[in-house]
Amino acid sequence: MVPNIYQPYPVSVHGVKEETGDIKTFTLGFKDQEIQNRFTFRPGQFVLVSVFNCGEAPISICSSPTFSKGLQLSIKKMGLLTGEIHRYTEGDEVGLRGPYGNGFPLEQLCGHDLLFVGGGIGLAPLRSLIQYVLSKRSQFGGVTILYGARTPQDIVFKDDLAAWDKEEDVQVTTTVYRDNPTWKGEVGPVTRLLEKATISPSNTKAIICGHPAIISYVVFDLLKMGFAEEDIITTLERNMKCGVGKCGHCSIGSKFTCMHGPVFTYREIKTFPTGF
Amino acid sequence: MPNELILNKEHLTGFLRKIAKERELIAPIKNSYGDTLFEVISSVDDVSLDLESRPAMPPKDFFLPPTETLFNYQREGKQYRFEEVLPDVSRVLFGLRSCDLWAILFLDVVFQENFKDRYYLNRRSNTILINIGCHEPMLNCFCKSAKSGPFLTQGYDLQLTDLGDRFFVEVGRPRGRELVDKWDYFFTSATQKDRDEQYEIVLEAESKFGQTVDLDMATSRLINHEVDDALWEELGNRCQGCGGCAYVCPTCYCFNIVDRPVSETQGERVRMHDACTLAGFTRLAGGYNPRQERSRRIRRRFYHKLPFAIEKYHRPSCVGCGRCMEICFGRVDMIHFIKMVCERGKKASQEASLRLGEILVQAGLISREELKVALEKQADTGKPLGIQLIEDGLTTTKEIALALGCQLRIPETAGTEG
Repeated sequence: MVPNIYQPYPVSVHGVKEETGDIKTFTLGFKDQEIQNRFTFRPGQFVLVSVFNCGEAPISICSSPTFSKGLQLSIKKMGLLTGEIHRYTEGDEVGLRGPYGNGFPLEQLCGHDLLFVGGGIGLAPLRSLIQYVLSKRSQFGGVTILYGARTPQDIVFKDDLAAWDKEEDVQVTTTVYRDNPTWKGEVGPVTRLLEKATISPSNTKAIICGHPAIISYVVFDLLKMGFAEEDIITTLERNMKCGVGKCGHCSIGSKFTCMHGPVFTYREIKTFPTGF
Repeated sequence: MPNELILNKEHLTGFLRKIAKERELIAPIKNSYGDTLFEVISSVDDVSLDLESRPAMPPKDFFLPPTETLFNYQREGKQYRFEEVLPDVSRVLFGLRSCDLWAILFLDVVFQENFKDRYYLNRRSNTILINIGCHEPMLNCFCKSAKSGPFLTQGYDLQLTDLGDRFFVEVGRPRGRELVDKWDYFFTSATQKDRDEQYEIVLEAESKFGQTVDLDMATSRLINHEVDDALWEELGNRCQGCGGCAYVCPTCYCFNIVDRPVSETQGERVRMHDACTLAGFTRLAGGYNPRQERSRRIRRRFYHKLPFAIEKYHRPSCVGCGRCMEICFGRVDMIHFIKMVCERGKKASQEASLRLGEILVQAGLISREELKVALEKQADTGKPLGIQLIEDGLTTTKEIALALGCQLRIPETAGTEG
């Protein structure tokens, strides 16, 4: 029988970690072991999360497929649904369907240096790929991670950022727009970090995620540095309602973000009428 | 029974009566308000079939209802479960027009490709489609331009042609055959004379429909980006953002999914029609909206209906039924759009948009001096110029309306002729 494409499956919250004042990372596991075993994904894919009486929302997976302790989603408190899930604790259940979307082009990233540029919660989908890359270290070249947050309090995945920095051939730099007295790191937009980083554009793939405004500045600078359009990869946020290329909400040019994306190269994005 | 049959008109009611006993029968009915709509018929003898006019709403509602429950969900303790509510219907849609049937074939592809939508497909796989070819174009029809009529060569279960006292019946897909085999006593084999007569009607109809708009030219202009931003701006100004065009369109399938709480412990997940011209269609959590401006949404709509649909499905998602023309009072419908795009190409330069006061002065309705005084007053009162002029007794509401129409370039006539 053809499965029902809109059917959410129950998952329970195994753990909640408070990243910032308004961002929490949830570790989830399917109630049904068979579904859990069947569920495979690529970094960059997303799921549709159902929250009781609140509907569904598309959320990127922020853990690596190689992470065995469950699926992780980092969720920023924005509205009704995200506000409700922020009240959830261990043992509470949500619905989940997916994974959807294309994910990052792992095959094309193999053998290259990787530059990650993230802004705010935009580090979430990148984290999935970073963890994946670090778990298959020999397949990839050097890794540079540039991350920008509004204030030191808004930095997500603090433990991860510190841990990644200790790995061999991995450079992590974090910057904030507004510092506080205890902050000792960089201050300013994430694009300023690009000027200081040592990157060879000819052998590097850049993977960016953040607010559309940030992405456009970063892309502009990368092009100036000599990056090829197809070597600039980003993941777009759209109103992905159905996740299966039917409902029309996430259309972008002749494509659907939920089917052909959310990961696109700049070469593709350039042709879209609405840009980022 | 052969593939071409004759159904005498006096047998139509009997045939429909038989169908209605076994399946849900849906046909165009003229209601007490004078509107013709596709409706479920419980008793064939109690309704007035209307096979002459185009139903105001397309038949898509029978496959993709305006609202439908996809799941019932409940929460007990921490347990949160979804129970699917799949449709189970067995229907005959009688009296479809070719354009509407063609639209259903378009929807079939959308809901079957990649991920299969069981809600749509369950309804669709158990619905028999019977269309009537059109031998007279209805108001604002342009199926010939959209290549979806007036007669079809495939896709129908049965196709009828009105030969005056009888219908010429073509048997298409297997379910059409089942229907005529089951009640074969209503039908006789078509003779060569019937065939000739039908062929003549088809030829005559084709000539009557003609080519009212050049859909292909408009599409190629869109593909080649030969449409200037001013045109989208203008359409955006005229669009009232009501979504009517999408609701009456037989191929518009965009939908939304929302939860409707029923109690503290249960609720329904509902799917409902949505429209890409509505402001919130693409809005994200946090408020960012990639298509904030109305002009962008209009642009999206027409790009989707013409070049994008053709790129993906090798056919436009406009079937030329003309319903959007009837519902849109801002003239942001397909016919006006195609004409605008085609005509704009002809004009080398574009006239500058005139301001309201200037239009009234040029029309000799007010003097330049009167305009100056009114503008000064308006600066104090903060009232719109039009209101100020009316209050001063210098012009009338009707004149302002005409001037605004001129400013927004709303054509005065609604017809497709010419």
